[in-house]
Amino acid sequence: MEAMPEEKAEFEEAEIKYVSYGGEHHLPLIMNLVDQELSEPYSIFTYRYFVYLWPQLSFLAFHKGKCVGTVVCKMGEHRNTFRGYIAMLVVIKPYRGRGIATELVTRSIRMMMESGCEEVTLEAEVTNKGALALYGRLGFIRAKRLFHYYLNGVDAFRLKLLFPPPRQELSPSLDT
Amino acid sequence: MDGHSPKLASIPASDSTVWADASPLLQAACTGLRDGELIHGDNFNLFAAMSALEIMDPKMDSGIVCTYYSIDEAIENGAAPIPISLDSTIDVQRTIDIMDHLLACEAAWHKGHSLAQTVFSCIYLLRLDRTAPHALLHSYCRVIRATCKAVVSVVSDARAHEEEDLFTMTYGLPLNGDGDDKCLSMLNAVEETISRQLRACKAASSKRRLPEVPILMQIWSHYSPTPIWKKDFAKLCCAVYAFHFFHVLACMKRPQGRGLESARKHIASCMTELESILKSADFIRSCFGESYEGDIDDKTTASGREPIGFDAMLNSRLSAPTPPRAIKILSWKKAVQYFVKLLHDLDVICSYPLDPHLESLLRFVVQFQISQPDLVARSHLQLLLVQDGKLYGRDPFFAVITKAAALPEATKNHDIQKNESILQLGMLVMNLLKILCTNAAWQRRKHGKFLQDWRVIYVQLELAFRNEFGEVSSSSNDENICMKIFQHILLWVEEKTYWIAFRFLILGFELELYSTSEYCMVYWYLYAVLTKLAEKTHLKIAVSYDIAKRKGKKKKDSPKDLARESRIPPAVLFLQCYICLAEGLTMILAALRNEISVFQSPGPFNTEQEKFVQHFELLQRACIPDHVSYPSYKESTTHACFSTLAMYNYFKDAQRIAKEVKSSFSNDPDRLAELRKLEQVAEHNSVAQNLICRLGALDPSLKVSFELSHHPFFATVVVKRS
Repeated sequence: MEAMPEEKAEFEEAEIKYVSYGGEHHLPLIMNLVDQELSEPYSIFTYRYFVYLWPQLSFLAFHKGKCVGTVVCKMGEHRNTFRGYIAMLVVIKPYRGRGIATELVTRSIRMMMESGCEEVTLEAEVTNKGALALYGRLGFIRAKRLFHYYLNGVDAFRLKLLFPPPRQELSPSLDT
Repeated sequence: MDGHSPKLASIPASDSTVWADASPLLQAACTGLRDGELIHGDNFNLFAAMSALEIMDPKMDSGIVCTYYSIDEAIENGAAPIPISLDSTIDVQRTIDIMDHLLACEAAWHKGHSLAQTVFSCIYLLRLDRTAPHALLHSYCRVIRATCKAVVSVVSDARAHEEEDLFTMTYGLPLNGDGDDKCLSMLNAVEETISRQLRACKAASSKRRLPEVPILMQIWSHYSPTPIWKKDFAKLCCAVYAFHFFHVLACMKRPQGRGLESARKHIASCMTELESILKSADFIRSCFGESYEGDIDDKTTASGREPIGFDAMLNSRLSAPTPPRAIKILSWKKAVQYFVKLLHDLDVICSYPLDPHLESLLRFVVQFQISQPDLVARSHLQLLLVQDGKLYGRDPFFAVITKAAALPEATKNHDIQKNESILQLGMLVMNLLKILCTNAAWQRRKHGKFLQDWRVIYVQLELAFRNEFGEVSSSSNDENICMKIFQHILLWVEEKTYWIAFRFLILGFELELYSTSEYCMVYWYLYAVLTKLAEKTHLKIAVSYDIAKRKGKKKKDSPKDLARESRIPPAVLFLQCYICLAEGLTMILAALRNEISVFQSPGPFNTEQEKFVQHFELLQRACIPDHVSYPSYKESTTHACFSTLAMYNYFKDAQRIAKEVKSSFSNDPDRLAELRKLEQVAEHNSVAQNLICRLGALDPSLKVSFELSHHPFFATVVVKRS
C-alpha cells in the first residue's frame, strides 16, 4: 500500500500574518507547535525562560487564525560578545517550503541586530539539510562541527552569523 | 496520600534534629500555586527553573515508570535467575544470548553511550558474586568487568575523549573486582583444551572434506572425548575471544611499547574467534529453530532472541548519571563488525616501528586517522606516542626536535634545552601529537587555538636569538653551535606552524564546514598557506643538505652533487602540485562568480567579508601568513574571467608535477596513491576549465558543481547540462 502524500496547504504568502510574542495567550500555541514537531521535550519553564525574558525575539506565524509557525530566541553576553541565540524554529508540515521559517527567523535576527548583537548562533544536526540551506542563505557559516552532539549520536554544526561592524553600510559594490 | 507511615531514612535523628513529616507543607504549597505560576527567589530565577527539571530522568520526573526500582527487586522477581535454567540446553542457549548481548552493549558503549546504560544494564554484572555457581558466566562477567575497567583507564589517561565525556563516567558502578585476572586462567585452560584437541584433530581430518558446516565445529563434535554439543563451541568462542581481548589491552599498556608484539598475537587470536563466532551464528539460529519478529540483523543476539538478565532503566535511579532517554544497543552483527575494525586499528598501532623521526610519525598518524578510528583505538595510539613526557616514553622531546630540525646527533645533550622557550616548544610538540589523535572536529578546533601559541614561541625564540647573537661578529665555538641550533629550530618551527595551518584548513573539507560559495576564499587562503609551507620546507631541506655536505667534508662538489642541489626536493614538488591545484580552483571559482554570478550568496545581513573574517579569524590573529587579508583576496580574484582563465591552465601544471614526482615516492604507497588522486583531479579540472572557457558565458544551461569525489580536499569540477 502506498503512503499517502503529505497534504500541502493552499495559501498565498500574503495571507500569513506575523506577530511578535504578545503574552500568556501565545504561550500554549508555541508549546503545542514545538511539542508536536520537535523531538526535544521541554518543560513549561523552558518556554517561559525564553518568552518572558526576550518577548521581542519570539515570533508567531498565523494563517486564518491558526498558528502555523514559531521562532523562539534569546540574546546575551557570552565571552565578551553580545550574541543572539536561536533556540527553536518550527513550521507545521503542510506549510513548509514557502518561506515562512525564513521570514520568522529574519524578523528575529533583525531585532537582534537592532538590539546591538554582534553575532547570532545556533546548533543544527548535520543531516538537517533544510535548516542548513535556510541559514546558509541568510549568511550563517558552519563555524564548528560538534562530534556526537545529539544523544542519538548525530553530529551538529554550530552555525554563526557575524554582523558587519555597525558604522559600515551594507553596500553591494564590494562583491562585484 | 496512602496510609503507610513514612519509612525512616538511614540518617538517624540527633540531639538537635528531629524527623518531621513534611507532607502537609508540600500539600499546602501544591494548592497554593496555580498552573503556570512560579516561585521567585533571589537564588531561583527562570534560568534555574528551566535547568532544575530534566524531563524523563526518573530521579526527578516521577512520571517515568520503571519495571523495577532497585537491583534487589529485579533479582527477587527473577529478572536474572541463577541457575539460568535447569534444562542444560536452555542454559546454554541463554548463556550464549547473554554473551552476545554483552558484546553488543560493549560496542554501543565504545560508540559513545554510557556504561551504565549499556554493559552495566546487565544485572548479572551488577551483582557479579551471585554468578559464582555458573562457572562460565562468572568468568565471562569478570573478564568483561576487567576489560571495561582497562578501557576506561586508557581513555581517561589519554584524555582523548573530548566531547564524549559520557564514556568515562563510572561512579556508582561496580567496576573494581579483586582477582579478576585470576579467573582468566580458567578461560586460559579452556582455550588450551580446545587448541590441544584441535591439533590432534587437524592431522586426522585433513583427508576428510565435509561441506557447509564449519570445519572446526565438525572436528570438535567428531573427536572431542566428552559429548559436548555444538552449541558449546559457540559459547566457548565468545569466552575465548573475551580472554584474548583483555590480553590485547594488557599488552598494549606495557610501557615504551614493549608489549606490542604480544598484543599482535592476541589480536590475531581475537580475529580468529570472531570469525568462528560469526560462522556459528547461522548454525545457532537454525539449530534452535525459534521464530522471531523483525529483521534478524537488528537483533543484539545471534539467535535473534531477547536476552534475559538486562534492564537499562535500573541504573537511571542509581548514582550513575545517565541521559534520560532510551538508547539503541548496536545489533550483534554491527557489534562484531565494530570489534573487527577496532582490532584492525589496534593492529596497525601495534605494527608501528616507533620511528624516532617526527616527520614520519606525523605522516603515520595522519594516515591512520583517514580510516576514522574510534575513541578506544585513538586513545591507545596517544598513550603509545606520549608517555612520561617523552616520545614513546623513551625519547625526550628536545632530542626529537633537534633530529627533526636536522641538527647533529650531539645537539640533543646541549644545555640550550633548559631555555624556557625551548621547554615550551617541547610542550607544544607533545600537545600537537596528542591533538592529532583526537577526532577531526576536536582536532581542528585545537589546531586553530594553538596556532597562536606556535607563533608566540617563534617570536620568543627569535627574540632570544637576536639578544644572544645580534651584535656578535667573532664568535666562540659554543656560540657558533648555539646560533646554528637557534637557526635550525626557528626554521623548523615556522615550517611546523604552516603545516598546522594547512591541517586546520583542509580538515574543514572533511568536516563539511565550507559551502561551495565559500570555496573560492578557502582555496585562495590554502594557496597562500601552501606557498609559505613549500618555501619553509625547501629551506629546511636545503639546510639539512648543507649539514650532510659539511659532514662529508667535500672540498669540491661533484657534478652529481651540484645537480642534486639545484633540483627541487620531491617533498617540495608534492607541495607545488597542491599549490597549482589550489590556485587553479581559486581562479575557476572566481571567474565563474565574476562572469555568471554563481557560487555567491549575498545574504540580507552580512557580506562575504564577514564570512572571510569568521573562517580565517584564528589564522589572521596569528598572522599566518603575514599580509593576507580580505582586501588582498578581493584584489587577487576581482579580475578573474573566462578569458584570463583561458590564458593559463594551472591544472596542467599540477598534472605534469604529479607525473614527474611519482618516481621519487616509489617506496611510499600512501603518497603514490595520493598522487594518483591528484592526477585525476587535475585531469578532470583541466578538461572542465577548457569547456567552461569555451562555452561558459554563452550557454546558460551549463551547470557547474564542485565535488570532493576524487580527493578529500581538492574538488573536482563537474560540468553538466541542466
